[in-house]
Amino acid sequence: MATATYTRSATMPCLICEQKNSLEAVVCNTCGAPMALIQEAVAQDRDPCIVTVVGDSNVGKTVYLGMLLDMLSNRADDFEAVPKGAYSVNLQHSVVSHLSMRQFPPKTAMEVDDWHWAYYQVRRRKRTTDTYDLVMPDMAGEAIAAEVANPKTFKVIRSLLEKSAGAILLVDGALAAAGSPQPDFFALKLMSYLDGVIATRGEKKLTTPVAVVLSKGDYCPEVFDDPRSFAQSNLNRLWNICESRFANYEFFATSVVGALAYGSDEYDNVVPYPLHIAPRGVIEPFEWVLTKLQGDCKRR
Amino acid sequence: MALKLFSRRRSNDQAAADRHGQYEGLGLPPTFESFQPASLPTLDHDALKRAFQQGRYCAILRDQHQWKDSPQFAFVVSEVHRELEQRMALVPAGTVSIAQTLSAQPGDSEEDIAVEAFLLDIHCVTNARFQHFVDAGGYDMLEHWPEEIWPHLIELEDLTGQPGPRFWRQGRHDVRLAEHPVVGISWYEAQAYSLWIGQHLPKEAEWQMAASWHLHSSTNLVRRFPWGDAMNKKRCNIWGSRIGGTVPASAFPNGAAPNHVLQLVGNVWEWTDTEYSITDGNNRPIVGEMPMHVVRGGAFDTYFEFQATSQFRTGQLALARTHNTGFRCAMNLADANWINGG
Repeated sequence: MATATYTRSATMPCLICEQKNSLEAVVCNTCGAPMALIQEAVAQDRDPCIVTVVGDSNVGKTVYLGMLLDMLSNRADDFEAVPKGAYSVNLQHSVVSHLSMRQFPPKTAMEVDDWHWAYYQVRRRKRTTDTYDLVMPDMAGEAIAAEVANPKTFKVIRSLLEKSAGAILLVDGALAAAGSPQPDFFALKLMSYLDGVIATRGEKKLTTPVAVVLSKGDYCPEVFDDPRSFAQSNLNRLWNICESRFANYEFFATSVVGALAYGSDEYDNVVPYPLHIAPRGVIEPFEWVLTKLQGDCKRR
Repeated sequence: MALKLFSRRRSNDQAAADRHGQYEGLGLPPTFESFQPASLPTLDHDALKRAFQQGRYCAILRDQHQWKDSPQFAFVVSEVHRELEQRMALVPAGTVSIAQTLSAQPGDSEEDIAVEAFLLDIHCVTNARFQHFVDAGGYDMLEHWPEEIWPHLIELEDLTGQPGPRFWRQGRHDVRLAEHPVVGISWYEAQAYSLWIGQHLPKEAEWQMAASWHLHSSTNLVRRFPWGDAMNKKRCNIWGSRIGGTVPASAFPNGAAPNHVLQLVGNVWEWTDTEYSITDGNNRPIVGEMPMHVVRGGAFDTYFEFQATSQFRTGQLALARTHNTGFRCAMNLADANWINGG
């Protein structure tokens, strides 16, 4: 989709699926993505890059992305991140508000129009004049799982991944360390799906950068010692497909919670409580993806 | 030789004060390729002198009957008193209010605890000091470890499988971090060290008293931070200070409490002697997967500033050996009989 081709028209294409919508549309009538994204892209006069944060349900995507955006807004590691549109702040606002009250944010809804979308301009303040326009949606893990299991169930996810300039794949490091094969299998399915979505010629490897991030490192600090070795030992299926089909990938570890405790609600359901917040390894995967993004994402 | 109770000693680190507490941290533990092991210190053959060199000052005072026949005894004891005068500070008596609920909202349940005056280490325990414990075979001295932890002692090893803090190698700390707080140690390791040197971990109420300075006075003044009531990221090392790792335990002299105790807020969380007990707003208990102990003060990676105050309380699994948790030691005033000329 090229904003340059958009001229005065009675319709406006969705930034994600490129289907036409009326000028008054708030969300795309095809995929449900907010029309504010294309409006912002038109205002910026360039197409943004899409960086998707994907992963299984309950792996920590919302907390990770919310913290990442808040840390960038706080100029972590010399980054300068400017939200384009008030809606872009909703995710980090929700995550920070909940964590500050020692609660986790609610589960991301399956409905696309309930997702948080963030449109940010990001640059390094001192090291380079390059500025990146990024769109980073917070998608429901169950929706991702449904799309991977039955392609085209959630067209917006397919469109997002087709258009992704980079991806951050969160994998539950704590579950993997405990010996569960579930994280490995889900990651394998997701990478295989990505392999099918992003078309390549012949046996050529995909060049889309993928940061594989082992989440919940507070549960298993050993993941920080050597994420690559950890992945090779505990997520071998994922490791193998990365090696076979992807040209640009790297392994990282992250945690946001410093300590976790458990209570119960009125129905005796177990409720986890983040006792204090100590972000670790949040910026590094994003920084790596940024360095791998192609030239189209940068404005000089 | 009384401890100077309320003296505000000038910092020896004038250069640091001139930089308004700005320090370059070395960040997280060095990689294997860059690790520089600390050398083995040369210790005296005489057991009493060796104990002094190892920093076991309170143990020397506690076990005086064991040393009194030594010809060096009087001299060493006077040196011990001098060292403790410099390394410890008096925290006066007062009362603290400990939140009992997770949210700690106004009106929530609190426990008021009266705290007697006590002595507290001015600095957190450093890698260099902890090295003495490791070199002396501290991890094999079962008398300093509760029996329930004995089967787990073998798990308390460094990156190369030697007994020691988690991020050490071959039983040695990185020499560049010698004066940084020791981290990667569980509550049990902190407690064992404190017992070895003849001291103890501060109780949570004692720690809060030292940080909040809530004296028995008519003003009812409670400090949110050791230096006052407003966060100042140039007075401590938290996430917003943009250092990204630990700094020497003597850094940020401008963030000291009135009695010159340093870094009660920031740099590393500090183990206390108190088990972590907390409830939700409906009085339902909140517990960890294993026993937890209270940690206080925040660390270099504490993101929310309100989680690095004198009142904020949180917990950590007792066996957790995190990169951002250290400790300091305390001493009962009754054991400091030399203060009153005893």
